[in-house]
Amino acid sequence: MAFPHRPDAPELPDFSMLKRLARDQLIYLLEQLPGKKDLFIEADLMSPLDRIANVSILKQHEVDKLYKVESKPAVSSSEQLCFLVRPRIKNMRYIANLVNADKLAGRTRKYKVIFSPQKFYACEMVLEEEGIYGDVSCDEWAFSLLPLDVDLLSMELPEFFRDYFLEGDQRWINTVAQALHLLSTLYGPFPNCYGIGRCAKMSYELWRKLEDEEDGETKGRRPEIGHIFLLDRGSVDFGPEVTSSDKSLKVLLNAEDKVFNEIRNEHFSNVFGFLSQKARNLQAQYDRRRGMDIKQMKNFVSQELKGLKQEHRLLSLHIGACESIMKKKTKQDFQELIKTEHALLEGFNIRESTSYIEEHIDRQVSPIESLRLMCLLSITENGLIPKDYRSLKTQYLQSYGPEHLLTFSNLRRAGLLTEQAPGDTLTAVESKVSKLVTDKAAGKITDAFSSLAKRSNFRAISKKLNLIPRVDGEYDLKVPRDMAYVFSGAYVPLSCRIIEQVLERRSWQGLDEVVRLLNCSELAFTDMTREDKASSESLRLILVVFLGGCTFSEISALRFLGREKGYRFIFLTTAVTNSARLMEAMSEVKA
Amino acid sequence: MGHRKYELYSMDWDLKEELRDCLVAAAPYGGPIALLRNPWRKEKAASVRPVLEIYSASGMPLASLLWKSGPVVSLGWSAEEELLCVQEDGVVLVYGLHGDFRRHFSMGNEVLQNRVLDARIFHTEFGSGVAILTGAHRFTLSANVGDLKLRRMPEVPGLQSAPSCWTTLCQDRVAHILLAVGPDLYLLDHAACSSVTPPGLAPGVSSFLQMAVSFTYRHLALFTDTGYIWMGTTSLKEKLCEFNCNIRAPPKQMVWCSRPRSKERAVVVAWERRLMVVGDAPESIQFVLDEDSYLVPELDGVRIFSRSTHEFLHEVPVASEEIFKIASMAPGALLLEAQKEYEKESQKADEYLREIQELGQLTQAVQQCIEAAGHEHRPDMQKSLLRAASFGKCFLDRFPPDSFVRMCQDLRVLNAVRDYHIGIPLTYSQYKQLTIQVLLDRLVLRRLYPLAIQICEYLRLPEVQGVSRILAHWACYKVQQKDVSDEDVARAINQKLGDTPGVSYSDIAARAYGCGRTELAIKLLEYEPRSGEQVPLLLKMKRSKLALSKAIESGDTDLVFTVLLHLKNELNRGDFFMTLRNQPMALSLYRQFCKYQELETLKDLYNQDDNHQELGSFHIRASYAAEERIEGRVAALQTAADAFYKAKNEFAAKATEDQMRLLRLQRRLEDELGGRFLDLSLHDTVTTLILGGHNKRAEQLARDFRIPDKRLWWLKLTALADLEDWEELEKFSKSKKSPIGYLPFVEICMKQHNKYEAKKYTSRVGPEQKVKALLLVGDVAQAADVAIEHRNEAELSLVLSHCTGATDGATADKIQRARAQAQKK
Repeated sequence: MAFPHRPDAPELPDFSMLKRLARDQLIYLLEQLPGKKDLFIEADLMSPLDRIANVSILKQHEVDKLYKVESKPAVSSSEQLCFLVRPRIKNMRYIANLVNADKLAGRTRKYKVIFSPQKFYACEMVLEEEGIYGDVSCDEWAFSLLPLDVDLLSMELPEFFRDYFLEGDQRWINTVAQALHLLSTLYGPFPNCYGIGRCAKMSYELWRKLEDEEDGETKGRRPEIGHIFLLDRGSVDFGPEVTSSDKSLKVLLNAEDKVFNEIRNEHFSNVFGFLSQKARNLQAQYDRRRGMDIKQMKNFVSQELKGLKQEHRLLSLHIGACESIMKKKTKQDFQELIKTEHALLEGFNIRESTSYIEEHIDRQVSPIESLRLMCLLSITENGLIPKDYRSLKTQYLQSYGPEHLLTFSNLRRAGLLTEQAPGDTLTAVESKVSKLVTDKAAGKITDAFSSLAKRSNFRAISKKLNLIPRVDGEYDLKVPRDMAYVFSGAYVPLSCRIIEQVLERRSWQGLDEVVRLLNCSELAFTDMTREDKASSESLRLILVVFLGGCTFSEISALRFLGREKGYRFIFLTTAVTNSARLMEAMSEVKA
Repeated sequence: MGHRKYELYSMDWDLKEELRDCLVAAAPYGGPIALLRNPWRKEKAASVRPVLEIYSASGMPLASLLWKSGPVVSLGWSAEEELLCVQEDGVVLVYGLHGDFRRHFSMGNEVLQNRVLDARIFHTEFGSGVAILTGAHRFTLSANVGDLKLRRMPEVPGLQSAPSCWTTLCQDRVAHILLAVGPDLYLLDHAACSSVTPPGLAPGVSSFLQMAVSFTYRHLALFTDTGYIWMGTTSLKEKLCEFNCNIRAPPKQMVWCSRPRSKERAVVVAWERRLMVVGDAPESIQFVLDEDSYLVPELDGVRIFSRSTHEFLHEVPVASEEIFKIASMAPGALLLEAQKEYEKESQKADEYLREIQELGQLTQAVQQCIEAAGHEHRPDMQKSLLRAASFGKCFLDRFPPDSFVRMCQDLRVLNAVRDYHIGIPLTYSQYKQLTIQVLLDRLVLRRLYPLAIQICEYLRLPEVQGVSRILAHWACYKVQQKDVSDEDVARAINQKLGDTPGVSYSDIAARAYGCGRTELAIKLLEYEPRSGEQVPLLLKMKRSKLALSKAIESGDTDLVFTVLLHLKNELNRGDFFMTLRNQPMALSLYRQFCKYQELETLKDLYNQDDNHQELGSFHIRASYAAEERIEGRVAALQTAADAFYKAKNEFAAKATEDQMRLLRLQRRLEDELGGRFLDLSLHDTVTTLILGGHNKRAEQLARDFRIPDKRLWWLKLTALADLEDWEELEKFSKSKKSPIGYLPFVEICMKQHNKYEAKKYTSRVGPEQKVKALLLVGDVAQAADVAIEHRNEAELSLVLSHCTGATDGATADKIQRARAQAQKK
């Protein structure tokens, strides 16, 4: 690692074993179909596969040609076809078309479908309905944990978020439970468990069930990892008036990614200018970065930007994006955007921000950006006031096409973009108050304001947990003092703050109010029943499970917390994501 | 030749019949004995129904039932200790150890037609088989009655009468039949019939009277009409030995009596009143039989039971022989003596001990005593041998204790099961061959649950393999007690089982359901902690809705899906939908499936729920995904709009109607102007019109769709700049006061690198943005003037940051001066 840890920080477990396991299993599966074969791979699986087994390994096991599973049929002359796919119905159709075409042509070949990470009954059903169930053999490649970094495991299931939080489809929960089971078999047991959210609770319970069924395996072993923390990305039900916490966070976080670069520009503009210069110089090398893994990239960046110390590690992840943003827009535009985001976050100048968003839409700047800003507004204000809700949507449809009517329906269902309930119109008053308060920075009125502001969950939570630290004077980014450093001291990611608080208390005790505001009163749990064999070292090794994805900002913030407190965090996420990806997941696109 | 015979039990069964009048079957490994008085042999008693009786090896009655089915030809026990009764018509009835009828199967039509002449039950590594000789002198066999596959064996050429004797062999995992016809032997496999000749067979044989295959199918013995016995390998490739007993009468029974891995070969031949053990020694051992006796071949000997006794005959094991041989000087024998003397407090003990130690054979002596103890039947003998071993151990530094401990444990278990109440006379070798697991199964089969549990606890077996398994079996038995109420049974079972690991309540419930006790099954399922396990049985019991909630509880979506499909077939559509409605998790799952596989069902689902919002979305999606013709698309949108109105979502309804209008209009534009308009957003449609020079149309469209002024200005501005139609842009800028100000004009011109045009607009930019505008066009000096005029610190800094090089030096100074002045004030 390029940055120093406290000398007493525990060592991370070796996760390369996961790769070896996955590779060995894949090879075993490939050998189940002896002889030369063509391999059809689903696009989503290509880059994970590449990290596990490269082409030469595949060739060693008699894979002849590689094809991508896509809409148009591939022409393969091999006598044996092997499909490596996610358990999705559209893939089954693809395979069925291919097999049925062969049948029509009177051709018989061997077909094998390998589902990763598991097969679903619905898929087999489709194969049966398409009349090819008997023609193909099905297998599972239980590859669910990809080590992206020494402390970062990804399940590479970006659809988890949409499937579960939008469609209410729980099929991946079992996969998560299996993955946790695997981890606890290899590195467990985990003596202390915390979690929040319905999805977290379900995953936890299912995982425990698996453990109980195979009892005795981990019994008596010394735990390597002391705590496990399950967080779900929609720790609240989807309802019209409830803003879900963690999802809101995610939008915020990424809004803040740019804040990081731009905010307090008096102080930071120099750094930014320097960085963008630097970035341009590095652009050529960055073009190579697709081929690099995160670790290589990290080393690479940290060496190049030595003088800027660790915060630039995070920056480096965004440098590409900033570059392109800089190119696309004038600097002024960008500053406007940042200003608006910051204003939304702190809750002042709501009217102005709304106009800004409107202009953003009118000018067709970017469908995803526009959507993100609208969501940010909705979340921080606990819903849009009805007039804005209608007019922004109308503008959006006019700009980007009518199919987004469905996008709005999705966002509403997910609680990301909602209309204020009639009783909530007070926010208008609030925002006036807030304007007053912030502008004059009168401490006394702040308290009065905060009691008013309780209507907005975000504001209440943010206040309760001090997510927007009040900083006197400049925030010296070279000497970060809290997790807010990832956003230039402007904001601490909620998830990270919660983890910090719970770890401090070793339970949810004292966080009742926060839990209530998150609408998770019954869904926050602590389980410390495991025998207390944990060494003090293992107690400082913490596995954080993000159900629905996490951002690099959160990871960086927790890494910082770890360095401060002598913890080491291990991240397990269903996918690494950001606000744009989140918005894309919610967007309806014409086929 | 060292053979010995000892009594296992004195039988106190109250036999009404003579053994010779009965069909008899005794299971190996100290198994049960079945007797069926055979009335069909004698014509006279045909009217009396015979009784089938089952006893333990110690003669304790286990079952007795009146035989009501057809005439039985042969009885035999399967490896699972099920009694197979082969009827004359080829039907095989299967009974449990307690006389409970299990099932029946037929050996096929050919057997039915020709009747069964003779039948054998045999054991192979796959299970238990049945071989039948039919009235047509053909053989039919099944190698495993658990997985019934009938095999009709090839015909024996020229076979006109029944063979004088026959047996089943098992070689290379295939069952064969060896039969004797006159002086000839034939081997039948499933493909062919071949004539075989035993090597070294004495001449003069005109027929074979009896044949015997050893327990392990390795050896074969043939008894000829000359009183000559040939013993060799089953493959008929090697003769081991022969013996001439000079008795020409056909023996009643002939069985092998050998011990695994022993070099000795011996066959026990039984006549009415005589028992003879013959082998490669020139002399035989003879016993007189006082009563009618029956031989049961075992792995390491022969059991012989009669009306009054049950004995075991076996070759004396090496260790026992060494120790008990008269005047033996074997280390074990000396040790035994030493210990006895020690107990008598005689100094001879020391002498013996020294003798062994001098020879360095103490370890061997201890081992010998331990081993010999295992082969003793009488506990007092076991004890004295073990005591000797223990005594000898004291004088050894490093004798690993486990063999001694294990032997003590094994003997304790063996003595327990040999008790006549239990009646399983296993020898040590048999026990080791059988394994503790199977022994436990057999105890369970005899419903000796407490003993089984005691053994598990005594041997400290893991719960899952031991106690839990036995309790589960007990529970399965318990549910069959029909006279006890459901509540009581369920409670009793739960009390005893609790949540013992490894107990599957669903298995017990399945058993209850098998006995027709559905309610009990459901009660028992409630105790099953793994809800997933409950589902299959609930489905079987047609409790699909309960199954659905359990499946949902389990969190296993595949299971939910299975139940859903079950429900879909079982219920009519309406009920199915209603069920889904109450189960949101299942509903979302099914919807996801329908989205890809059954779009129409998805629509029906929304309809059923009056979910107009989703219905609207559904039709919207259809309008661009499923429909191709414009009319179809508009119609879909109309349906969507109607649905949105019903959902009271006026916004969506209006938006949809607008889209319908737009679609129609786009169609018209395509027809009239050519080019591509369909599927563009409103904004893009207007832009395309302006770019195509159709300004009038564009404006009309903007009016029709009430495009806000601001948007229209942005749009036109961008489009005209793209066209570089500067003239039109200027005209446009003057058409009325810009709602977006004039800075965007400056910006857009600069974006197209047209400073000349940009400058035209700087004067019209409002005061707040003037500095920005001037800086954009590069007029730093003027920007400075404006900023100074505004006395705006932020603007001053901004301008200053734009001052570069020498050219702007003067301006910079000016600003600095202004600043200084401002500060003075």
